Amino acid sequence: MPFHSSDLEAYLDESLPVQEMARIEKALRENEPNLARQLAAIHARRNAGVHSLGEIWRRHRLSCPTREQLGSYLLGAMAEDFARYIAFHVETVGCRYCQANLADLQLQQTEAEQAVQVRRKRYFQSSAGHLQAGGDANPG
Amino acid sequence: MPTPPNADALLIRRIREGDADAWTDLIGRFEGRLLAYIDRRVRNRTEAEDLVQETFIGFLTSLPNFDGARPLEGYLFSIAAHKLTDYLRREGRRPTLPLMSHKNSENDWEPAGNARPASSIARGDERRQMEEAALVTAICRQIDHCRRHGQWERLECVELLFLPGRTNQDVAAQLKISEQAVANYKFEFLAKLRTAVRSQDLPEEIFPELYREM
Repeated sequence: MPFHSSDLEAYLDESLPVQEMARIEKALRENEPNLARQLAAIHARRNAGVHSLGEIWRRHRLSCPTREQLGSYLLGAMAEDFARYIAFHVETVGCRYCQANLADLQLQQTEAEQAVQVRRKRYFQSSAGHLQAGGDANPG
Repeated sequence: MPTPPNADALLIRRIREGDADAWTDLIGRFEGRLLAYIDRRVRNRTEAEDLVQETFIGFLTSLPNFDGARPLEGYLFSIAAHKLTDYLRREGRRPTLPLMSHKNSENDWEPAGNARPASSIARGDERRQMEEAALVTAICRQIDHCRRHGQWERLECVELLFLPGRTNQDVAAQLKISEQAVANYKFEFLAKLRTAVRSQDLPEEIFPELYREM
């Protein structure tokens, strides 16, 4: 099946559904005709400043539900038609960002608090040294 | 996914001032979703946690250049995407693409017909952002309209057409509606976007999809 340019744009931005990402990578490794050329054309278009609807829609996440709405969706506490739309957006469209938020919200209900704290402490300790440097410049 | 901009702006201001508690808050708020995003692709929890760590470091080092008007979550996801891409290249899973465009590929996206090639239009980042913002506003208006009026089929239709870029035929099959209905939704959606673009005197050639034959 050929690749649509919208899929390839999402591939370049690491926002395509995981299984589709793998399909494109496999095709690239197998030197599928025209694929590298299609990707190069997208680069060229971007460099020229020509806009793509899908790219803008994805970048600004224009139809993504809020995290609060995703939480309500998980709890089954929202209108049926909106819940159906969220399922469509997450499963059919395959929004990676909403999938990640949903997975996180689901895990929060089951993951041991201690494991979370250990992880967060590690992130803090490894990054806090950069905190002041970030605070010095461009306070606006 | 919109988040309250004021809350994010306040958090960023505190982090810029070197507030460790604010940094802890940011990590607590975002690490789970970043980990889920990366882990789904990497399929290795330890490696995924390392990449989240790199994402947070990357965020702090890029903070002086962070545009406060940009959604914080989107910015963090974009850093995570870069870290993920680098990792997958190192692992040999994501083939490296040539930096230079393929011969002749520069013209592949050029609009057909008499439209002026967009590559001939010199414009700065500010101008591009303004064009993008105009389209964002126009798309948002239509999404909001669909949601407020319960037009879910219409919304799902245009989302499938422009996000995964499905054909009319595929969308019709997916939504179990006629191809004519898909074409009608598409026509109305693009017509409204064209009106929005014209009302702001933006050049047609920078939005080729809006003027492509359906």
